[in-house]
Amino acid sequence: MLARYGLGLAVVASASWGQVKLPPYTREVLPNGAVVYLMTRPGVSLVGFRILVRGGQESDPPDRGGLASVTAQLLRKGSSRRTADQFSDELDFLGGTFQTDLGFGPSSATTISGEFLKKDFDRGLDLIADAVLHPAFPDAEVQKLVAQRVDAAKSIKDNPNAAINSYFQSFFFGSWHPYGHPPDEVTLARIKRQDVVDYHQRVYCGRNLVVIASGDFDPSAAEPKIRDAFGAAPAGTAFAWPAQAQLKSGGQLLLVDKPDATQTYFYIGQPGIDRKNPDRVTLQLVNTLFGGRFTSMLNDELRISSGLTYGAGCQLQQPRLPGGIVITTFTKTETTAKAVDMALDVLKRLGEKGISSEQLASAKAYVKGTYPTQRLETSDQLAVVLGELELYGLGKDEVDDLFSRIDAVTLEQANAAARKYYRAENLTFVLLGNASKIREAAARYAPQVREVSINQAGWSAMQN
Amino acid sequence: MRLPVTGLCFCALLIAQPADVRTATLANGMKVLVQEDHNIPNVAMYFFFRIGSRNEHPGTTGLSHFFEHMMFNGAKKYGPKEFDNQMEKNGGNNNAYTTADTTVYTDWFPRSALELMMDMESDRIRDLSFDPKIIESERGVVYSERRTSVDNNNFGVLYEQLHASAFIAHPYHWPVIGWPSDIESWTMDDLKAHFRMGYAPNNCVMVVVGDVSTAETLDLARKYLEPVARQEPPPPVRTTEPAQLGERRVEVRKAAQLPIEMVAYHTPESRHSDDAPLDVLETALVHGQASRLYRRLVDKDQFALSVNAFRQNSLDPGLLVFNLQPRAGVEPARAEKALFEELERVGKEPLPDQELRKAKNQLLADHYRALKTIAGRANLLGVYEVYYGDYKKLYAVEAAIEAVTAADVQRVARQYLSEKNRTVATLIPETKESR
Repeated sequence: MLARYGLGLAVVASASWGQVKLPPYTREVLPNGAVVYLMTRPGVSLVGFRILVRGGQESDPPDRGGLASVTAQLLRKGSSRRTADQFSDELDFLGGTFQTDLGFGPSSATTISGEFLKKDFDRGLDLIADAVLHPAFPDAEVQKLVAQRVDAAKSIKDNPNAAINSYFQSFFFGSWHPYGHPPDEVTLARIKRQDVVDYHQRVYCGRNLVVIASGDFDPSAAEPKIRDAFGAAPAGTAFAWPAQAQLKSGGQLLLVDKPDATQTYFYIGQPGIDRKNPDRVTLQLVNTLFGGRFTSMLNDELRISSGLTYGAGCQLQQPRLPGGIVITTFTKTETTAKAVDMALDVLKRLGEKGISSEQLASAKAYVKGTYPTQRLETSDQLAVVLGELELYGLGKDEVDDLFSRIDAVTLEQANAAARKYYRAENLTFVLLGNASKIREAAARYAPQVREVSINQAGWSAMQN
Repeated sequence: MRLPVTGLCFCALLIAQPADVRTATLANGMKVLVQEDHNIPNVAMYFFFRIGSRNEHPGTTGLSHFFEHMMFNGAKKYGPKEFDNQMEKNGGNNNAYTTADTTVYTDWFPRSALELMMDMESDRIRDLSFDPKIIESERGVVYSERRTSVDNNNFGVLYEQLHASAFIAHPYHWPVIGWPSDIESWTMDDLKAHFRMGYAPNNCVMVVVGDVSTAETLDLARKYLEPVARQEPPPPVRTTEPAQLGERRVEVRKAAQLPIEMVAYHTPESRHSDDAPLDVLETALVHGQASRLYRRLVDKDQFALSVNAFRQNSLDPGLLVFNLQPRAGVEPARAEKALFEELERVGKEPLPDQELRKAKNQLLADHYRALKTIAGRANLLGVYEVYYGDYKKLYAVEAAIEAVTAADVQRVARQYLSEKNRTVATLIPETKESR
């Protein structure tokens, strides 16, 4: 199956729409510090559990990038009451799911989620709580999983479209930054059982836990069960967030050599905003127009009008610490310079010419119109929203007042934000492609160029 | 329906019953399915055209997929870029996909945009523009898509070779995206002929799910889509793939960190009565960490990093494909041997009750998960109407799965998973020396 385009970005509705609201939910803080959310959504007889453990990638030791995600993957591999096989037998028999994230993106929590049929609420909760709170981490399982993750880290490099993301993250943030050491084959290989045991003991405690149940269940019956299961965890010490880290200075370019590539993949980044930045709604509108939807300036120029690429867009990252504003696209080797120049041109034009009131109105309608299907339709989407509110310390007005905040953005504000954040200088570039054919062109874009081979271990950082 | 082991019923999960779906056939032959759902103020509107790479010929492969793109490039009333511009400024977005059998247009939008969408869809189905400059530009886009999904993607490259080897006569032989030389050489006449043949209302099923009124939706369909003229449908695909007479092997040598191995077996079309037993078989083999192949290849032997399997819906007999990535330092032949042993075992001994029940529970739970969203339901209603001949079969999935016995699973395993019926494709990492 081939889709028309592959951009994962989108954001909505007509002016006649009212405000969307979060459905009702409850929030409770248990004596051990764990925060419990319950949101019932009758209709589909499924129930989802979403557990956040504060820390995530920010808690990975720089020389052991991937520790948080390896720990999460090992939760199901044996507990005080179950072997790894018993866990899988029970989970699969219920038709349940159990997922953990792989720790690549800038993240501030480890996420563990599972979904079960309504009738299996108790068994599902027991499986999840047992895995999260009482894992045994058998050494054989640790060794097996670490070896698999090392191979998986290598195999990502066979998919340049995925690999460039980690190259960029590592190069853009720098190895000292909490987001600057995505897991690679070297950092993963260092992880030993004791690292995992220590990490779990330190981080998986009441003060770091957020437990969200959403879907079709009886809240009065569910509440004591969840309290029993997760209230028993030791309170522990709240994860100490790393201080604001300086971003690397711009004006640098990383060239990743993949000699067999017939296409160049490139990212162009600059410092952006954190999750609570007061300009976030305005910037979401600006980014929608610049690179966040099919008719965006970038996609219009590079794909629709010139046929240089299958897709071009711009990520507006909003993690806990400031993230990047990152142009992402690809083009055949021969048109590399043409496409990079064109992307830079579009960027420059945004700052110089700004956007029109008609464009702003279109972006407002788009962000509002697409919001419900992306954030509010299913109980698992709603659980994601609740988790973000808790993790980043946002209020429910983040959803409930979103549409009125969108409506309130003026053209002057949008253009001021565009000028402030979308700069055409001091940029960070990552180009992945056949270096022998693009090296010369690449050198024009930054005073400092660093080149690595795709076969070299790790991402952009010097291995320590 | 009873679940013998747990004694509990899945029926209560049904989000909607077939009675909730209203159908109509317009005078020009277009079938319309409408299901109201007022959970969120949005609508999913899908158009399934019964035309795909199966209806193409050597020299014009990839044309259906190219058309998928061209449908967004301007028509009579809404010119170039207008479809997307109008849609987005009214709060909607869209995508589209092409398979060997169908081309599907997927629109998501707030309820207020329903009439606009009907107008724009009818405009492009009736009066698509063919501007030579836009065609050349879109050719570049599609070639870039090919470079991304095939040429620079090891799974994509190997999958293309696997298909081309498993099918020697039937049009499933060529890739949906088309061979590079064909992408470079389609002519204006090819495009116009393909459009007339495929994009007719009588060759289309329209599905609308979401915050709409059924009566209003059908009225709008009559106003905008009914006047579009019917056309001669695509001629029937005559070629039947001859039975495979022995194992086939194909190798790809390419720069890679790890090898890949794909093993394909010919299996029947979606409508065949073996569809449900094959689903249960596939689930028992690869779904979840308690599945047979995961346990053997990934967990116990540690020969593979991952193993999965898939069977695409198809109008003509298709493939069951196993896809595994051998671990660094493991010869693909060792992983393959373990895979074949497990496939043989499932044909020799019936699945124990517990394992059969597990596979059915997984299939049913996943089936209901796919119905959670308006988009998921619009897609499945169309898929069942087109591939299974009747959207109501979507609501008979539970019964079809429950009816599968251990003997059925054993029989389909023996019948289809044979050495003679298989094609093996291996991607071998190319080192500097082997070049």
